[in-house]
This record gives sequence, C-alpha cells and structure tokens, in this order.
Amino acid sequence: MNATGQARAARHAPENPGQGRDVFAYLRSGPFGGPTPAVAALLVLMPVALPSSTMATEILIFAMATLACNLLLGYGGLLSFGQAIFFGAGAYLSSLATMHLGAGLLPALLAAVVSGAILAALVGALAVRRTGIYFVMMTLAFNQTAYFIAYTLSDWTGGDNGLLDVPRPPLTLFGAALADLSTATSYYVFTAVLFLLVFIAVRRVIASPFGSTLIAVRENEDRARALGYDTRNFKITAFALSGAVTSLAGALYAMLLNFAPLENIQLSMSENIVIMTVIGGTGSLLGSLLGAGAWVIISDMLAEIWPRWQILTGGALILIVLFLRGGLWGGVESLMRRFSGGGAHHAPDGNPDDAGPPPQPME
Amino acid sequence: MRDSHILTTENLSLSYGGFRAVDKVNLRVKPRTVHSVIGPNGAGKTSLFHCLTGGRRPTGGRILFKGEEITNRSAHARVGSGMARSFQITSLFQNLTVRENLRLASQGRDGNRSLLFWRSVNARKEHIELADSITERLGLAGKAAVAAGDLSHGQQRLLEVGMALCGKPELLLLDEPTAGMGVDDIPMMTKLIADLGKEYSVMLIEHNMGIVMAVSDTITVMSRGGVLVEGKPEEVRADPRVREAYLGKVA
Ligand SMILES: Nc1ncnc2c1ncn2[C@@H]1O[C@H](COP(=O)(O)OP(=O)(O)OP(=O)(O)O)[C@@H](O)[C@H]1O
Ligand SMILES: [Mg+2]
Repeated sequence: MNATGQARAARHAPENPGQGRDVFAYLRSGPFGGPTPAVAALLVLMPVALPSSTMATEILIFAMATLACNLLLGYGGLLSFGQAIFFGAGAYLSSLATMHLGAGLLPALLAAVVSGAILAALVGALAVRRTGIYFVMMTLAFNQTAYFIAYTLSDWTGGDNGLLDVPRPPLTLFGAALADLSTATSYYVFTAVLFLLVFIAVRRVIASPFGSTLIAVRENEDRARALGYDTRNFKITAFALSGAVTSLAGALYAMLLNFAPLENIQLSMSENIVIMTVIGGTGSLLGSLLGAGAWVIISDMLAEIWPRWQILTGGALILIVLFLRGGLWGGVESLMRRFSGGGAHHAPDGNPDDAGPPPQPME
Repeated sequence: MRDSHILTTENLSLSYGGFRAVDKVNLRVKPRTVHSVIGPNGAGKTSLFHCLTGGRRPTGGRILFKGEEITNRSAHARVGSGMARSFQITSLFQNLTVRENLRLASQGRDGNRSLLFWRSVNARKEHIELADSITERLGLAGKAAVAAGDLSHGQQRLLEVGMALCGKPELLLLDEPTAGMGVDDIPMMTKLIADLGKEYSVMLIEHNMGIVMAVSDTITVMSRGGVLVEGKPEEVRADPRVREAYLGKVA
C-alpha cells in the first residue's frame, strides 16, 4: 500500500468506541471529535477578536445558513437558489409567533424549524423532479414566487417595510426563566450554543446512512439508483433538513435585528448564501464557518468605504473558483499539508470532514 | 408459482423513437444457471438489460420475475425484490474508496430505510462485513482504502461486478464484465462468473466467446433487436445463422 493508501486507511478508521480499538481515531472522527473542539474554541474567541459580539452573532447565523446550503451543494451536489425562501419564512413566522401569539423563544424557534422543514420538503419534492440546470431554475423560480407572496401579503409581512419591533423573548424552559437575552453578549452565547449543536448535528447527519447515500447520489446518481436507492427521497430529505436549519437561522436573525426585512426572502439572499458556501469551500463544514465569517467581516468593512462594494464580490468569487478550488478551507488545508510535510492527496470516504472535491455545481 | 423460471419475458419490446432496439423478445431464465446473451454490436443486448432492470420502461410486452409481473416496477424497487446489475460502461463512485463503494452497494437493499439520518453508518455492521467479504472475494483486500477511480481498469471491472453482488440478488445481470479487460485479468473474471452461476441466476452479456462457451448453460443470440437462436453452447456454436449474423456485421 502506498502512502496515499495509508492515509486513506487511517481516515477510514471505524468509529467503534465500544470496542476501544482506536480511541484516537474515534476522537478524530466522532461527532464530538474532528473539528468540533476547534469550532468550540473559535466560538469562545470570536466575540473577543471581532469588533462586536453582534457581528460575531451575525457570522454564526449566516454560518448556520451556509452549513445548510453546504449540505445540499457540497454533499448532495444540489445547487439551490431557493435558500432565502426558508431563511425569510423562518424570520417571518417566528416573528409573527412572538408578536401575535405571544410565543416564547423556544416555541418560536421550533415553529421556524418545523415550518422550514415542511416548506423545503415541498420545494424539494417539486424541484428534484428535474435535474441539472432545470433543477436550478426551479429553485430560482420558487424563490421569486416566495418573494412576491411576501411582498403581496404586506398585512402579515410588512411588505417593503418589513416587520418592525420584532421581540427577542427571554430564554425560558417550562415556565422557568433561564436567561434574559437582551444584551448582545448573552444573545451571542445563546446563538453560539445553538450553532455548536447544529454543527454537531450536521456532522452526525453526514456520517449516517442517509449522509453517505447523499454523497453517493452526488457522485453517481444512476449507479445509486441501480443499487436500490430511490434517489429523489434522499434529495427531498436533504432539502427538509437544509430548510429546517436555514429557517432557524432566519428566525435568529430577526431576533438579532429586532426586524424582519423583505430582503431576507429576496433572491439576492439566496445568492449570498451560495456565495458564502462556495467561498468557504463546498463539502467542508468548517469551510462554511470560514465562508460566512469572511463574507460578514469583509462586507462590514467595505460597506463603510464604498456602498457599491457588492460589485467586488463577483470578482472575489471568480478568483476563488479559479485559483482556490476547495474554497478558503481548501486553501487552509493545502497549507496545513505543506507544513506537516505530507504531500499526500487523499480520497474521501464519506468522512464528514471531507466530502471530496468540489462537485459540479448542479445535480 | 406460475412456472419454475426465475425470469420470463413475453414479447418484450423497446423503441427509441421509431427505432426498435428490442423487438418482441421472449426469454425464460432458469434458476441457478448462467444464461448468456450474445450478438453483434447494436443487437439490443444492453437495451434488453435496461428493460429487465428498470432503467428504461419497455414500450411493449411483459416481464415476470419470480412469477410476479414487474414490467412497470421502478429500478430501485427491483433491487429490493432481488435483482442487481453491473454496467457495460464502468459506473462506480470514483472518488470514494473501494470499501465505501461496496458498503453503499450493500446498504442499497435497505432502500428507504437508509434515510435514517440520526444513526451512524457503523451501526449497520452487516453492510461493512458484507463489503469486506466481497472485497476479499474480488481479491481487492489490499485496495480497500483506495479510491475506486485509482484502481486499474481490470480492478474497476471486478469492483463493478462486486457492487452488484453486494445487493444479495437472486438474479444477477452482468453487462460485458470483461469489457476492455486485458488478457491477464480475464481468467480471474471467468472463474468468478462460473462460480457465481452456482450461487445465483446469472444473465451475462459477453463478447468474449471463450468465456461464453465456458460458463454458459443457455445462450440467446440476439440480432437487430430480436432473438435469432437460443440453445446450449454446442448448439449455438454449430448454428450457421449465428455465424452469418456475426460475419454479416464484420463485412
Ligand atoms: N438512448 C438511445 N437512443 C437511441 N438509440 C439508442 C439508444 N441506446 C441505444 N440505441 C441504439 O439501439 C441499438 C441497440 O443498442 P444496445 O446498446 O442495446 O446494443 P448492444 O447489443 O448492447 O451493443 P454492444 O454490443 O455494442 O454493447 C443500437 O443501434 C444503438 O445505437
Ligand atoms: Mg451493450
């Protein structure tokens, strides 16, 4: 076996903590292993290192949306330009629940998660009837439809003005008040805990029979079908999971801003989420955090200097796609490989930390 | 029980537009035999397999599998009822390891039960064990952790067949397993197919006459979408029409 083969063999060490054969392999690859401790450390550092904890919160919210997009694009090979539907719906529905029904924090977020999952399953069920460019066009068309519905239902959504005075309820559980989230720091801590849970959950999903099959569908859908998988069901489930997480992010965003603007559900929001995913690196969960972080920080800096800065993002995207095929995380990885001396280029095997080379951007 | 055959087709037809690629084919495949389908290029052999495995919907006729009509059953559902196929043009998960390819193939029989997204793949040990035993059987044990795309062509062809075996099928459909294989690798594949014929019912499309004559119990010769001749290897070998069909193609 050559060096490359050995690297792969090491990466495929099974997660058998019960058998205790290789505890270290488990630590590296289990849901709490791999990059999870590094992410936890980053979450602690972010509010200190960044100008404000509000910015740190914003990064985590977009990182959630990016993780969800990555599940579709990086693992399922599904390029969805409909993510803003779920982001916007989560923002509107949780806001309406707190404003009109007096819902608490957790029920409002739960409502967002459940409705996001259902909405995404519906959008997915129709969109996956087509493949390739037609699939992408369907998601785009759904986003436009959702936008016009939100625009038209201005009694509910505030139309152009958005929903104002969205409350941020305190954290309570079974009537007991646990934390008042009115300060930027406390809301950051709450968001960070949720982000970590989502991160671990997505890693778990990718290492599941479902996640491994999703990667198989991305790699070769015909073969997956010939092996007995009803591949549409896998794509629809991926949509539902992605919609749930994206909708949660939208709800958190509305509570952060105390405002649910129409922009949340605009096509440009979908574009931004896709761009963050690609910039960070598709098929790498840590990349999603990097991508969202880079996007929020850079847009914050540029917005002050030059209001039309978004023109640059197109250019940045082109550069990354041309010169940094794995996105920012791909760049970091190749640097780490260079420093650790091993020039080995490895093949993925369904390992959550590496879903392989960037897929074709559709189907 | 309708009959003792594992697979029966009645006037099975498939047209691409106006072109009849499969034309009223009647087949009867006996259990635990190797039933080969041969014929010149373009005779419709692969198209016939597409109909049998559900890759394409037939435009006419019926397919009975284990006495049950499956003509309109989807490809993935046919795997669940005991069919598996390999492809003429290698179709693997190129970027995934050999082991992961075979594990996914084993898991395929679970169908929608693989939608479980909160469990670890390692919870289903039987898939990993089956994948490992097939790896062993294919002589690829040393390559388990190599990406399928990095295997030699011959090894990829073996893996292609192995993927079908992981579906624990009753009927195995192999479309030119030796396509593009070097002479060195062919004996291994011949032995594998002969062995498979004892455990499974095998339908084999093959151009290599050495293999066909060595392993087949029954041979169906196709030409221009239809069945030209059917019989035991020695009968087919002696039939002048078969020679004509092949020579006509060359000339
Ligand atoms: N998708 C398609 N659309 C139109 N015609 C097709 C299609 N697929 C195959 N054909 C035609 O149908 C005929 C039968 O093709 P098929 O692939 O079944 O032949 P085959 O017997 O498997 O040949 P080979 O030995 O070369 O693999 C050929 O004439 C081929 O050109
Ligand atoms: Mg063929």
